Amino acid sequence: MKKIINEPGKFVDEMVQGILLAHPGALRTVGDDLRILARADAPVSGKVGIVTGGGSGHLPLFKGYVGPGLCSAVAIGNVFSSPSSQQVFEATKAVDGGAGVLYLYGNYGGDVLNFDLACDLAELEDIETRTVLGRDDVASQPRERADDRRGVAGIFFAYKAAGAAAERGDSLDEVARIAEDVVVNTATMGIGISPTILPTTGKASFDLPDGEMEIGIGIHGEPGIHRGPLETADQIADRLVGAIIDDLSLADGDRVAVLVNGLGATPLEELYVLYRRVDEVLRGRGVEIERTYVGEYATSLEMAGASVSVLRLDDARLELLNAPAQSPFFREVSA
Amino acid sequence: MRTADLNVVARRALADLVGYADELRDLDQALGDGDLGVTISLGAGAVIEALEQLPEDATAAELAKACAKAFANANPSTMAALVAGGLLAGSKTLVDSTEPNQADAARFVRAAGDNIALRGKTQLGDKTILDAIMPAADALEAGSDPVAALDAAVVGAERAVADTKALQSRRGRASWLQERSIGLQDPGATAFLRLLQCWQAALHAAPAERN
Repeated sequence: MKKIINEPGKFVDEMVQGILLAHPGALRTVGDDLRILARADAPVSGKVGIVTGGGSGHLPLFKGYVGPGLCSAVAIGNVFSSPSSQQVFEATKAVDGGAGVLYLYGNYGGDVLNFDLACDLAELEDIETRTVLGRDDVASQPRERADDRRGVAGIFFAYKAAGAAAERGDSLDEVARIAEDVVVNTATMGIGISPTILPTTGKASFDLPDGEMEIGIGIHGEPGIHRGPLETADQIADRLVGAIIDDLSLADGDRVAVLVNGLGATPLEELYVLYRRVDEVLRGRGVEIERTYVGEYATSLEMAGASVSVLRLDDARLELLNAPAQSPFFREVSA
Repeated sequence: MRTADLNVVARRALADLVGYADELRDLDQALGDGDLGVTISLGAGAVIEALEQLPEDATAAELAKACAKAFANANPSTMAALVAGGLLAGSKTLVDSTEPNQADAARFVRAAGDNIALRGKTQLGDKTILDAIMPAADALEAGSDPVAALDAAVVGAERAVADTKALQSRRGRASWLQERSIGLQDPGATAFLRLLQCWQAALHAAPAERN
């Protein structure tokens, strides 16, 4: 293992300390807990708060999407481990501006347990909550079991839309409806070409022989649909976009936003090579691409690989994507 | 029973429950991380304080919610949150009763157990607190009168706790032990049994002692 770290056990806390020092004024810790970060101006009175969270190791997911026009707070655990229910609850209290709090996070068992427990704790304090789970990974379950899918990079779209809705003063029910609407209209699929190495164990999360790729991989290195020889960028794009077009039943005249996401160790150049073909395939089908995002939005430490996410757009969703937003890791400037 | 009397019984039972903290810590050390003793002793202490603050005319639901809040915040953990969520779910079955009866108690315990099962994604036989709660709920529903029902609930929970020894832990930290968890008594189920036993003793105590 070669990593730029100090003591493995301090990896998460030292990473958060670095973020706070590098971006003063943007985020604050809740209490003294480095694992709970809120936007500096939270709670915003009268506006819905949005709390997200999950394991560390995915930056800019989850900590990177806290700020005006995005989430209000985040609770994180150790690498690939859930935050505790109490941390989620503390985040909830810190951002409740009297209009309730939306829990928006990826569909993973440990996270669901702790966020659900936090719902009960919040209710005891008379804070209303709603929950929407990111579940966009088409490789993790077939369409008919879409509610059981894992949440991966496509949750970015839900953050963006729900965050914009909360910022303009929508009610809790409306913010939750918008988040759910975006989630069910988002599909993602990824491939991995080299594994993640956990700082604490120093071991690769899975073995992948040279020259092979894992198709449909999750952001913790969960196995995908199958493993096969490494293909060209165009072949990979064809695979990923093909599965997404089928899943969302995209047809001539549909409008979409596209996110090509790097999993941590894949150069931006390669992501653009991938996007070139993604764009070609979608436009070839008559699909109109209204927004494109290329970069690292949800990573898995040093995993090499990429995912493609597509959000089917309508005017309402597009308006929310285009609304201003700001965090140390993401900025949308109003046109 | 009037809620004001319930408050006194609850405080007395919880004060006794703290005496079992070492037993619960030891059981939990064998199967988990050993923090159940602290969870129970700090939690019971916080609940007693919260109950002391409650007004005479508090409803049974308000009483249960006060317990939940105090327990959740005393020593936060998954267990504390599960118990708090259970108490909250139970409180919703009580509406605004100030004189809960046996049927209310049965509904309360059942709803608490159901919520723990739902939140914890657990079922009977997973070797958790649920294994003691559900037989107690059965007994409270079936009992011919409140005293007999509570006695039967204690007997049912006692049997269930003994039965947990033969089970393999399927939830939480204890599940990591896999087959090695067989033979060990479940600490969560034991905690619920001790609470019931303390409750029984508190009820039977002469009214003059109830303070």
